[in-house]
Amino acid sequence: MAEVKMLTEHYADDSYCGIEGYQAKKGYEMLKKALKMPPAEIVTMVKDSGLRGRGGAGFPTGMKWSFLPNNGEERYLLCNADEGEPCTFKDRMMMERAPHQLIEGMIISAFAVQSKKSYIYIRGEYQFAVKVLEQAIQEAYKAGYLGQNILGSGFSHDMDIYVGAGAYICGEETGMISSLEGLKGQPKLKPPFPAVKGYLRKPTIVNNVETLASVIYILRDGVEAYRKFGTQKSPGTKLFSVSGDVMKPGNYEVPLGYKLKDLIEIECGGLKLGRQLKAVIPGGTSAPVLTAEEANRATLDYECLADMKSMLGSGSIVVIDDSRCMVDMLGVITHFYHHESCGQCTPCREGTGWLNKVVSAIKAGNGTQKDIDTLCKVADNMKGRTICALSDAAALPVLSFVPKFRSEFEYYIREGKSQVRGISYAQMHH
Amino acid sequence: MPKCTINGKQVEVKDGTTIIQAFKQLNEEIAHYCWHPALSIAGVCRLCMVEIAGNPRLQIACNTTVTEGMVVSNNSPMVKDAVRWGLDFHLINHPLDCPICDQAGECGLQDQYMKFGMYDPEMAEKKVNKRKAVDLGERVMLDTERCILCSRCVRFTEEITKTNELGIFNRGDRSEIGTFKDKPLNNNYSLNTVDICPVGALTSKDFRFKQRVWFLKDKPSVCNGCSTGCSVDVYFNKEGVWRVKPRHNEAVNGYWMCDTGRNIYKNVNRVHTDVEGERGEKQVKRSISRLVQAVHRMNGQSEYMQTSFALEQVRTQLASFKKGDVALVVTGQQTVEEYNSLLGYFTKTFSADDVYHWQNNPQMWGEFDGLLLRGDRNPNTRGLLKAFDQYSIKSQPWTQELSKYKLVLVIAPENIAAYPDIAEKAALLKNCKSVVVLTTSQLTPFANLSAETLQIPLKSYMEKSGTFLNYNGVEQKFSPVTTVVESAVSAEEFVAVLGGQTLAAVQKFYANPIERVENQFIHQRGEM
Amino acid sequence: MNFQLSSEGQEFVKKELKRYETKESAIIPCLFRVQKENAGWVSSESVGYLSQLMDIPEARINEVFQFYTMFNQVPVGKYHVQVCCNVACCMAGTREIIEEFCKEHNVAEGDVTSDKRFTFTRVECLGACDKAPMMQINDDYYEDLTMDSAKQILRGLK
Repeated sequence: MAEVKMLTEHYADDSYCGIEGYQAKKGYEMLKKALKMPPAEIVTMVKDSGLRGRGGAGFPTGMKWSFLPNNGEERYLLCNADEGEPCTFKDRMMMERAPHQLIEGMIISAFAVQSKKSYIYIRGEYQFAVKVLEQAIQEAYKAGYLGQNILGSGFSHDMDIYVGAGAYICGEETGMISSLEGLKGQPKLKPPFPAVKGYLRKPTIVNNVETLASVIYILRDGVEAYRKFGTQKSPGTKLFSVSGDVMKPGNYEVPLGYKLKDLIEIECGGLKLGRQLKAVIPGGTSAPVLTAEEANRATLDYECLADMKSMLGSGSIVVIDDSRCMVDMLGVITHFYHHESCGQCTPCREGTGWLNKVVSAIKAGNGTQKDIDTLCKVADNMKGRTICALSDAAALPVLSFVPKFRSEFEYYIREGKSQVRGISYAQMHH
Repeated sequence: MPKCTINGKQVEVKDGTTIIQAFKQLNEEIAHYCWHPALSIAGVCRLCMVEIAGNPRLQIACNTTVTEGMVVSNNSPMVKDAVRWGLDFHLINHPLDCPICDQAGECGLQDQYMKFGMYDPEMAEKKVNKRKAVDLGERVMLDTERCILCSRCVRFTEEITKTNELGIFNRGDRSEIGTFKDKPLNNNYSLNTVDICPVGALTSKDFRFKQRVWFLKDKPSVCNGCSTGCSVDVYFNKEGVWRVKPRHNEAVNGYWMCDTGRNIYKNVNRVHTDVEGERGEKQVKRSISRLVQAVHRMNGQSEYMQTSFALEQVRTQLASFKKGDVALVVTGQQTVEEYNSLLGYFTKTFSADDVYHWQNNPQMWGEFDGLLLRGDRNPNTRGLLKAFDQYSIKSQPWTQELSKYKLVLVIAPENIAAYPDIAEKAALLKNCKSVVVLTTSQLTPFANLSAETLQIPLKSYMEKSGTFLNYNGVEQKFSPVTTVVESAVSAEEFVAVLGGQTLAAVQKFYANPIERVENQFIHQRGEM
Repeated sequence: MNFQLSSEGQEFVKKELKRYETKESAIIPCLFRVQKENAGWVSSESVGYLSQLMDIPEARINEVFQFYTMFNQVPVGKYHVQVCCNVACCMAGTREIIEEFCKEHNVAEGDVTSDKRFTFTRVECLGACDKAPMMQINDDYYEDLTMDSAKQILRGLK
C-alpha cells in the first residue's frame, strides 16, 4: 500500500478551490444524498465507519455525536481549524485547496446532528485560508447549500467564520469555545463536556477540519468501503504533515497503519544524503519522541503508537537526523509550551516555566546533574493534574527526550556544550 | 440523597453536592485555594485532589459530584504527594516575603506548607518578577508577585458585585491580576477581595502594617453599620479594635460585608484617626474620639467627674420631676435590652408622649444597594419600633425644639458618621434648661449647648451584650468583644442606677469578665 | 491623542456586535480592527475606547487583548517580520536568520528600527513546516528561505 488520495484526490487542481470546479468533481453530491437520509442514519454510518477525530485526541467521532442530549436545545457545530500543534499544516492545505470540501462535510455533519449554526474557528495567522473560506461560504450561500431550507429539504443552516488571535490553547475544544464566546481562550472544567454544555452552555460538537471532510467519503463509499483502508481500530486514510530532515517534506495522505519508515523513505524521499535517522516525533511536538529503532518499527495508527507510549496526535511527523542536538530540540519545545500555557491551572502555569528554565540553563552550559532528575520529577507531576491536556503535552516531550537521549543531556551538563554540535547554544543564540 | 464514604466516614449528602462540599459537611480537612462556597467553580489551584476508588487518576474535589456509594479519600500517600507538588508549583514563583507580608499568620500558603511542605525548595531557577505595591484606590493594595492566580477576587467582582474591575491579564506564568490601567477598585465591597485572597496579594490599606494577626484575638459580633446587621468577627487586642471581617451567616449576609460597615470599629476605639496621603504629606481625614469621662458643662465651665457620681446626680435631678417634665430622645442604635429597660423605666416614671425618635435622614431608609447595605444606617430600628409598640409609644420623629421640658435625656447615636444632622439636632436643644447626654463619642455639637449639660460615657455595642433586630426581623444576639472605655455604662446599667442601685453593684451584675488569655499567640483564624 | 475608529471602523464594530450570539464574541474582531487602524498595535487607550463603544467592561476586553499574541501591546514597525522559531523552522535555521536581521538593522528583537520600518519577532509555529524556514511579514507568508533570500525579501519591501 502506498499513498491513497481520497480527501486530496483533486487538490492539485486549482479550480477545485471554487464552487464550480468543486461541483465539476461531484462536489455537493453527497450533501444532496445526505439531505434525503434520516439524520440518525448518518450518525450511525459515521459511528460504524470507526472514524476517529483527526485533530489529535483521536476520539471516535460518531460516539462524540451520540453524546448530544435530546432535550430540544439548539445545537452548535464548531469546526476546529485552529491548527496550532507545532509542525502540523494539513488543515491549512485542506482549507486553501478545498474549502468547499470542508463546507460540504460540515453541512452534512450539521444535518446529521441537527445543528442550525456552525462556526469555523480558524487561527488568525491563516489569513489566506480565511479569505478562501470566506469566499467559499458566500458561494455556498448563493448556490443554496447554506441558509434557509437547503435544497428544499426543510433543513436550514448558517455558517460563519471566527478568526482566532494567536493562542495554541484555542485548539483545545473548550478553550476554543471560551475564545468564541469572547473570553480568554482558557479551557473549561469538564464535566460537563461540550456535547452537553458547550458554546453558550448549549450542546456543541467540535470536530477537526479533516474529520468533518472525511464524513463526505464515508457517505460516498459506504462504511465497508471506507473501512477497507486502515486497520480494524484505526480505519480510513489520514493526512500526515512531514517536516524536518527529509528530502521532500509535505502533506501525504496514507491509510492508517502505514509504515512510518515507508512514509519517510518512499513518500518523503528519505533522509538527506549521508545522514542517519536519530529520532522521530510522530504526532506533533506533544507526542513523545521515538528513537530511530522505534520509528523503524512503528506503523501510523492509534494503537501502535499508543503501545510505544507515544501517540498519533494530529499526524505531524518531525524527522530528526543525527546532526541534531536533542537538548536543543527539547529547548525549542519547552519554550513553546511555556509560551502557550494559558496560565489557569497552577501545575501547568508554573511547571511549563520551570521546565523551560531548567532546559535553558542546561543549554547555556549552566546545568547540574541534578537537573535531569528535576526535569523528570517536575514533568511527572504536571501529568494529569490540570483542566486540559496542555500540561501533559508539555510534560511528555521531557519525559521522552530525557530518558531516551539521557547520555546527550548528561554530556551537555558535564561539558557545558552540545555533544553533537560541539559548542554551547549560549554562544549561538541569545 | 447519595451516600458516600470520605476518609472512611460515611456521609449522606444532598443531590448535586460536590466532593469538597461533602468534606466540609464532615469537617474533614481538604486543601484548596480557588474554591469558595459563594463563587463559581474555577478548578485551577489543583490542590483539592482526592482519590476515588476505581478511578486511577486523582480528581479535583471541587468539580466532582458525589455519586451513590462513592469512596473518596485524601489521606493516601498518592494524594499527599500530589498536594505537596501542587503546593510547590504555587511556591516556585512566590516571593516568600513572609516577614514583610501582612498576610503572614493567616496565609493559605503558610498553612499548607506547615501541613504538606516542610522541605527545601527544589526550584533553583530565577523567579518571575512582577509588580509589587500596586495602589488600587482608597482601600486595597495589590502585590502581583504574591498572587497565586486563584481568581477568587476576579470572580467576586464578576459574580457578586458585577462591577468587573478586576481581571487576569496576559497568560502563562506572566499572568497578573489587576484592574485596567490600575484604575481604583473602589466599589463598596472591595475589601471582601482582601478577605478571600488566600495569600497576601490583596491587602487592606486600613489594616496593613498595623498589627501582626497572631497578636490579635477575634470574637464574633454583629455589624451596627446599617439595618442589615451583617455577622462579623472583630479582631482586637488590649489597645482596641483593629479590624472587622464578615462571618458567614446564610440568613443575613452570606460571606460578605460592605466596606462602609468595616469602619464601625473606628467608633469603638479611644481615638481613631484616618490619615490620607503619601508619606510626608499625610493629612487627617477624620478623627473620632470616645468620651472617656463624664463631664458637666454650665456657663462655659467644664467639670469632669466619675461616672458613678454623674449618675447619682442624674438620679437626684430626675427624682424631683414628674410626668411631662422630662423628654427622652432615642435612636435605632441601641440594643433591644436597652430599649426595654429605658422605655420601661421612662413610661412608668414619665410619659410615653415625651419619647422622641431621632431619625437620621429617614428619606434614605428605603434605599438598598442590591447586596447588603441599606439606607437605614441603624442596626436596630426594627427593635426600637417593636419596643415602642410594646410600651404603647407613638413613634414621633424628633423635629421640634424641646425647650418646654425641664430636662431632656438623649441617648446619642454611636455611629455618628451615619448622622449628618447632629449639629441640627443640637440646635433643637439650645433653649433647654438641662440636657443629659449618654454618648460613646465626644459629640462636639452637644458639648457646647447653652443649656446645662451632663455628658455621660456610653458603652459602645462591642463593649456590652445585647440583641439587634435587623430590617427583616432576624434577631441577632451578641456578647461583648472587649472593653475600651472602662468608665462607660450601657443604657441598661444607667437605668438600673436610676432605679436606686449603686453603679458598682450594677456593673457587677452586668459584668462580662474579659477572658485573660495567657498565650496571645493562640489566635485562631477559622475557616479560610 | 484620543484614539477613535474611522466611521467605517465604527460601522464594523456595530455590525460585529450583532453578528454573533453574544456581543462579547465581537471583542476579538474589533481588537483586530483597532490594530489595523492604529498602525499595527493596540494601545490601552484604545481598549478604553472600545469598552465604551461596545459597552463591555474594560477589564474583560483587556483580558482578551493581552491573552492573544497576535495583538501587539507595543508599537511595531511598518513591516512586522515574524520569524517562526518552532521545531521545523529552527532546524532549518530561522534563529540564525532573525539574529542576522537584528544585527543588520541594529535593533533588539521586538523593538522598532530607528526608521520605523521593521520589527523582528520570534513566533511559534505558523503551520508551513514543509516550507521551512519561513517567516510572516504582516499578513503574508514567505517560505523556503535561505539567509540570502530572506535578506533580499526585506530589501525588496518598499
